[in-house]
Amino acid sequence: MDAQQAPKKPMVRRESKNKIRVDFERTPLKERLKAKYLSVYFLGKVVWWIFRLVLMIGISYIVLFPFISKIAGSVMSPDDFVDVTVRLIPKNFSLDIYRAIIEELNYWSALRNTFTLSLICGVLQTFICALIGYGFAKFKFRGRGILFMLVLLTMIVPHQTLQLSMFMEFRYFDILGIVRLLKGGGIELFGHNIKDILPATAGFFESLNILPDKIQLFEYEEIVRGVAREAWWLEMDVSEDGINLINTYFPLMMLSLGGLAFKNGLYIFLLRQFFRGIPDELEESAYIDGSGTMRTFYRIILPLSIPMLITVFLFAFCWQWTDDFYTNLFFVTTDTNMLVKLVGTIPPSLRMDYAGQDLYYSAIRNTCGLMIIFPLVILYAFCQRFLVQGIEQSGLAN
Amino acid sequence: MTSDMKQATPGVVDAPEAGAPKKRRKIASLDRRKARSGWIFVLPFVIGFVIIYLPMIVESIVFSFNKIIPGDAGGGYTLQFVGWENYREALFVDPDFAQTLVSGLGQLLFDVPAIIIFSLFMAVMLNQKMVGRGVFRAIFFIPVILSTGIMENIEAMNILGESMEDTSGIDDGSGSSVADQLVTSMDLQRLFADMKVGSGIVEYVVNMINNIYDIVNRSGVQMLIFLAALQSISPAIYESCKIDGATSWETFWKITFPMITPMILVNGIYTIIDSFTAESNSVMRFISETYSSGDGQVLSSAMAWVYFLIVIAIVAAVGGVISAFVFYQRKSD
Repeated sequence: MDAQQAPKKPMVRRESKNKIRVDFERTPLKERLKAKYLSVYFLGKVVWWIFRLVLMIGISYIVLFPFISKIAGSVMSPDDFVDVTVRLIPKNFSLDIYRAIIEELNYWSALRNTFTLSLICGVLQTFICALIGYGFAKFKFRGRGILFMLVLLTMIVPHQTLQLSMFMEFRYFDILGIVRLLKGGGIELFGHNIKDILPATAGFFESLNILPDKIQLFEYEEIVRGVAREAWWLEMDVSEDGINLINTYFPLMMLSLGGLAFKNGLYIFLLRQFFRGIPDELEESAYIDGSGTMRTFYRIILPLSIPMLITVFLFAFCWQWTDDFYTNLFFVTTDTNMLVKLVGTIPPSLRMDYAGQDLYYSAIRNTCGLMIIFPLVILYAFCQRFLVQGIEQSGLAN
Repeated sequence: MTSDMKQATPGVVDAPEAGAPKKRRKIASLDRRKARSGWIFVLPFVIGFVIIYLPMIVESIVFSFNKIIPGDAGGGYTLQFVGWENYREALFVDPDFAQTLVSGLGQLLFDVPAIIIFSLFMAVMLNQKMVGRGVFRAIFFIPVILSTGIMENIEAMNILGESMEDTSGIDDGSGSSVADQLVTSMDLQRLFADMKVGSGIVEYVVNMINNIYDIVNRSGVQMLIFLAALQSISPAIYESCKIDGATSWETFWKITFPMITPMILVNGIYTIIDSFTAESNSVMRFISETYSSGDGQVLSSAMAWVYFLIVIAIVAAVGGVISAFVFYQRKSD
């Protein structure tokens, strides 16, 4: 087609081009400008351009205002809260709130703990959800539909409903009675213990008592309010009813390992959609070359999906970081200091009784919030381009 | 054109394989092997579900059919089976639950379309070429990452922010109420009533504008999903429309909208689930208040299950209705 028309083309183009140029030159400049800028089309474009910009800036303002107001409040001194002429711009600049939170509320240890927990959970959740999502996306097996419905179910059942059960589950953690058996408690079946029914076996079961009453691992020295004391990274009580996993990272790690933690259903769904967009031929060629499914997954599929994985990691990390439901549920004592638990505690040196007290305490809470999300802001600044990129590649529309 | 060719290829490849009878056994075993690897991939979820999740669900359901009788001084408790008693109490005896449920579902009906419309609108905007698009994108996705969990709680208690936003006058010490109403609905309503627009729509839009902060905060994920869907529409389609002389308005309704209907379905269901399980949801709050009030634990789990069933029904109904209108470019899958 191209070969036949190629010789004719330049001639036609030159002819029409000349005609246009002649027409163009005959029209005076004023007329030309008028035709270009006074048309409905151009005006419509300008109006739309302005409207869009104003709208975008307006909504950006709505999004950013809470942060701006929090920052403004955080650098005010107590006097500014009773001064009615002060709104957003402080009169007496002061960093007392920041200083008090860092020094009196153990900010750094809380930051370290939260960072460790979020990193572990983020990595685990990203990897596990990728595995599960890939399984749902690329393999046909019996029960796939039902299993996927169960994934959606874990999304729909609000975790508040399971609050009590979840706490109990990890307060007395035991898988299939193994802990009970190894603590010399015998085997319990349908509410009756074999040890009680057959007293002859009692001695045998009690000799199985091999677990210690307390598991303590990784000793380190911790400094709390200037006093050094010995602490363990991992400290768990073991009894016949199970291991006490409260105040450790294990409950959240286990939920992450099962793809059951906060919003994991969404990650599984997103990753499933993403993997479905990858052409099957890619894996087929790998299979023909003799690669197994697992190997194909981590050598070929995972490197391909890095932007999407970063997106999911960003979600998992940040939502774990700011999550207060699970953190308050699984960390009940003050020993394990978490960032979200700082909120609501007023540093002792800032406690005061005066007219602006409510506003001042509100500002302290806000500052606490700012300091919680500050590391996330840095992370977001670096990772935000992956957010859109990862989702764009996911081919969700197919 | 390329997508058509891609579609055709698997068929071409499949045909000889299926046709060769000698290879049939081997293919079956490959399928079996693939099915087995499929199970291996989803195994973490299966194990987690069976060992951790299922017992919790069962326990919660068992609770809802029982009464907790506190044990002796040593703590502990025994359960007494009471059948549907808790459900009866939740639905017909408790004066507030049914009312909260109805108003909460009404709120859901308002929120979901608002969030869908807003996020679609913003996604279309952010998809266009304009000055500072990257900056606006970065700003709009801030709430997804930062305004969750504890920040939501802080925002709910933030009386300082309210007083700063209040522009009604310096002497107004109360620091609330006036600024909450971004748009005084009376003025707008009068304006639109003259223009013969239905009062229902006006009220809806006014409500939407007044709740804009809330809506922006909750439509981040939806915006991302819509944006992804918009990006995956082939530019060639838009080009041919432009050549045929279609306006952007026509292109939107005839091309963009049908192409992203699958994502409207996904987003609709996600939004329902998200607003239903949010801590700020009025029904959820009512249930957790009941939970923490003395011996309301069994009652609250009964309430939670009633609510859960209703929302499942809503999700199914909405899914069914929307999927009747969904347009799929490819019929496969």
